[in-house]
Formats: sequence, structure tokens, C-alpha cells
Amino acid sequence: MIKVSNLSKDFKLNRKQRREHGDGQMNRKTLRAVDSISFECQPGRVFCLIGPNGAGKTTTLRIISTMLKPTEGSVTVANFDTLENPKEVRRNIGFMTAQTALYDRLTPTEMVQYIADLYGMQASHFEERKNRIFSMLDMHSFADRRIARLSSGMKQKTSIARTIIHDPSVVVFDEPTTGLDIMTARRIIELIRSCREEGKTVIFSTHHMSELRLLCDDLAIIHGGKLYFQGTTEQFEAEMKSDSYEDEFVRLVGGA
Amino acid sequence: MLRDRRTLFMMIGAPLLIMPLLFTTVIKVTEAQVKKAKTKELKIAVLGGDSAPEFMARLSSEERLNIFTDIVEDSVRAMTANETLDGAVIIPRNFLELIQNDKQATVRLIFKSSESLDAARQRIEAIVTQHSAEIVTERILRLNLDPTLFDAVVVVKEDVASTRESFAENAGGFLPYLFIIFGFMGSMYPALDLGAGEKERGTLETILSSPASRFDVVLGKFFVVMLFGVSTALIAILGVFIMVWQLPSMEVDIRAVVMDMLGAQRIVFIMTLVLPVTAFFAAVGLAISIFAQSFKEAQSMMAPLNFVIILPAMIGMLPGIELNYVTAAIPILNLALATKTILAGTAEPILIAEVYLSLFSLAGVSIFACVKWFNREETLFRS
Repeated sequence: MIKVSNLSKDFKLNRKQRREHGDGQMNRKTLRAVDSISFECQPGRVFCLIGPNGAGKTTTLRIISTMLKPTEGSVTVANFDTLENPKEVRRNIGFMTAQTALYDRLTPTEMVQYIADLYGMQASHFEERKNRIFSMLDMHSFADRRIARLSSGMKQKTSIARTIIHDPSVVVFDEPTTGLDIMTARRIIELIRSCREEGKTVIFSTHHMSELRLLCDDLAIIHGGKLYFQGTTEQFEAEMKSDSYEDEFVRLVGGA
Repeated sequence: MLRDRRTLFMMIGAPLLIMPLLFTTVIKVTEAQVKKAKTKELKIAVLGGDSAPEFMARLSSEERLNIFTDIVEDSVRAMTANETLDGAVIIPRNFLELIQNDKQATVRLIFKSSESLDAARQRIEAIVTQHSAEIVTERILRLNLDPTLFDAVVVVKEDVASTRESFAENAGGFLPYLFIIFGFMGSMYPALDLGAGEKERGTLETILSSPASRFDVVLGKFFVVMLFGVSTALIAILGVFIMVWQLPSMEVDIRAVVMDMLGAQRIVFIMTLVLPVTAFFAAVGLAISIFAQSFKEAQSMMAPLNFVIILPAMIGMLPGIELNYVTAAIPILNLALATKTILAGTAEPILIAEVYLSLFSLAGVSIFACVKWFNREETLFRS
């Protein structure tokens, strides 16, 4: 479970960034990327954070996974506070982006072994888990080939394997399908579904409204660091005043 | 990192193969050029040879010297300039008369200094000097003079420096230069890969979202980078061994001295100094690399660092720069100078202690700064 309460995040602006943000920002030393947002992600459900580029999605996900510290508010993951118990939070998290984030010079086996070592996995548990995931993703045929020589599909499978090797209870996906071809994107969507079926807490960010229909149980619409909607997909559809998800999104954030 | 070809080349290939190959080639080419200068067939025009029959006879008896006597004075300069001739000797008409009257005669030597071997000037000058010395000897004997009359004071040289000290002073500066350069080069590629490379691949987020603390992550990276730097410096020493061992022109006693200088005890001693310097390289390299947004940006940010490293290392090679209380406090320069004294066997414990203090302080501060730097959100997620 993830619980985000009144979360805000300010970034310091340097002189160049202040100039780039326009005259109105010249006297401001910080930029508020996330502004007092609150939501909850439940186990066995998929939570979508939807918003355009620069809305604050990645910042929110990085705070959840303890890469960034909140300026205000708090975040708990699997009942651990991100500031008080960051190590325990990270132990419960699997983090994935559209980038495969792999070492070209390692083999898939070595790559997942490295991640398992970082998570302090027992050797026997690792072997069992690795074999299960490699069979599930059909990875055994290329398990000992250098990642640099793998196809993009094989690399994506390896990336999935390294994300879930330690069997995290919470899986964070930061725009996991951005820039991917249909087949690879579909594989990611299947992974998200299987995580839901296994009872994991799943949060993923996207700027594709179409992914709402495919995956989401709960959603939050974020723009300019603020939440414009938060609830279940059914609630969103029931409250829609436009014909499509995209139009409804524009209607909701239009005044922003 | 051991699977990265660039890193492996910088760590093993460059110090072990390229460096000895480069120096051996330079030395062999130089030797070949000197030999070529000595054995080159020279075309020399001699004008006014009739006025100096003895000198002419000496020139004619010289091997690999083709004498041309039928060229007019107006042409010799142009012919030497366009390298039709290697040089020309112009003897004055009254040469014999001046010599016979115990006077000083002048011969003009036309040569082209930009000619790479400078063989004509050197060989003709040597013949003139020898001929002049013979005339002076004949004059001294004829006039019944004491030959020591013209050497009022004679210097008898007595060098109390051991061969090791002389060698350490002259060539010893080169060794620390190698350690410094290779220690730096060996640590740069891993630093680039483990900082900017992680950002570019997206693996930094994977590592940061794992239970490993930032302190553990940065320290792990730091030790890997440092290990590569130290290993490269050690391999550079091995490269020096290979270079010394395979140089055929090196005299046996010099070779023995060099091998003795590079004994295990001294190398361990020097490596204890190289260690903190490499720690400094690793910390600075990693800090820059982690700040950069891409591998390319990190490379361009590190380029000026080369000058910061090379300058003190080069100053350490200059003659007259010695290890004292001031230079012992200047990082990198102190390593270069301390290595020279260690190799020469003249290291002063108090100065070496100051060098250790300076280098370990620098290493400590740079590691601390690197850890602090790595913990800054603005550094890790700069955009």
C-alpha cells in the first residue's frame, strides 16, 4: 500500500533556470513541482498517475521510491515512512521506466543477480525466483548472452525480470510504455496486470489517456503539480462531462 | 568494468604495451638518426683549397666526404640552401701564409641548420678542430713552450653522486609523471561510466531505488574507480620494467641500477603515495561524472582537469625543483618530488611525512566532498 499525504516538493532554481522560467520567476528561488497532493494506492489494484509532461508525475514517483525527499507532507510505502525508513521502503519497491536500464556488458543472469545482491536476496531464493521469472518470460535461451547483443524485446524482458526479481510488494512504473513499440508496450501492460493479480500495489504514470481503459482501477489527474481528480475509474467515467477521456482531461485542467 | 574494452585498454594496453613501445621506438629512431648522421655521404664544396694543402689532404682522406673544388663562391650558398650540397668550406687565399707566420686563420663554413641531421656542420667542425689542435701542438713544440702554458687552470671532475642519485635526478622525474598520468587515465573511464554512464543508461535510478544506501553506493563506486587507477599505475611500473629490460642500448650497470631502484620495497613505498593521489582522482572524477547529464558532457568537463594534473607533474620533472617544506605541501608536485628522493635513496622522513599528510588530507577532503555531492538531489537529478 502507498499513502501520500499533503505531499509537496520544491526544487531550487539556479540563475539560468530562473531566467528560463520567465520574468515572473526571477525573484523565486524555488519551483514547486508537486503541490499538496494526497492519494492512496491499494494492494491488488492499479493506480494511474495521469498528466502531461512536466506535471509532476516523475517527481512524485521518485519521492515514493525515496530518490527524492519531500519538502512537505509524507509518504508511506508498505507502512514504512519514506523519510524514517527509506531502506525498508526501497526493499519493498520495484522501479521501472521506459528505459530498459540495463548494463550492456552483463548477461541477463548476471544483471538480475546484481540486483538480487543489492536487495540482499538469499542464493536459494534467488535461484528459485530467477528460474520462475525466466520461464514465465521465456528468457532461458538468451540468459547467458551479453545484453548488448540482445534484441529490444529481449532487453525489455530482462528489464522486467530485474524489476520483479526480489518479489516487491509495490511496483512503480514511470511512463513504462513511452516510446515503446506495440509488442513491447503490450508486454509491460501484461506485467502490470500480473502484478495486480499477485496482489501487489501498482502505481504507474502515463500521459496516454488510452491506458486508462486498459489498466486502471484508480486514477489521479495531475497537472502543474496539483491533483485535478482522484478516484476510481468508474467514478471518473460517471462524472465525465465530455465524450472522450482526452476531452475530459482537457476540460478538467483547462483552466490551469 | 572488466568487460569494457576502453577501460581495459587504458588500464592494461596503454601502460603495458603502448608506452614501452613508444619509448623504445623513440630511442631506436634517435639512435638510428645519430648513426645515419655519422655514416651519411656528404657533398662538400671546398673553395680555396690550394691555399691549405694539409687541411685539404685531411678533408680528402676523410671517409664518406665527397669534395667538390670546382664550384664558384657565388653558387655555394644557394646550392647549400637547396640541398644540392650539404655544405661548403671557404678557405682564404692567405691561409697558408697566416699559419706559417703563427697567425690565426679563418675558414668560413656554409651549412643549413634546418637540415635535420646537422651532419655537415658537426663533421667539418670536428675536422677543423682536430687540424687546429695539431697546428697548435706543432707550434708549441717548435717554440719549445710548455704545453700547460695554454691551460692555466684544469678542472678535474669528481662526482660524489652515486649512479643511482644521478639517474634519479635526471630520469627519476619521469617515473612519478608516469604514475600520475596513468593513475589519472586509469581512473577516468570507470569514473565516467559509473557516474554519467549510469545516468545515461537509466541504471542510476535502479540502484538508487534499491536498499543500498547512497553512502554505500558512492563508496562502492569510489573504490572501483580507485582500484582501476591504482592498478593502471602499477601496470605502468610493469611497463617501465619491460622498457628497461628490452632496451639493447642501455649500459649494463645503468640497467642494474634502474632495476635496483625499482625494487619491491621502493615500489610499495611509492605506491603508498600514489594511493591517496588516485583516491583524489577517483573522487574528483566521480563527482564531475555524477554531476554531468551525459557521458559526453562529463568528458568535456573532465578535459580541463588534465592540465591541473599534468602541470604539477611536469614541474616535478624540471631540474632544480626539490622537495622542501613548501613543495611537500603541494599535492601531485609533492608526489613527483618525493618519488625522486625515494628512488635516489635520499628521502628525508620529515618531508615524506609532510607529503603523506598533504596527500591523505586531500584524499579525505575529496572523498568527503564526493559523498556530500552524491547526496545532493540537484546533482543526481540535474535537469
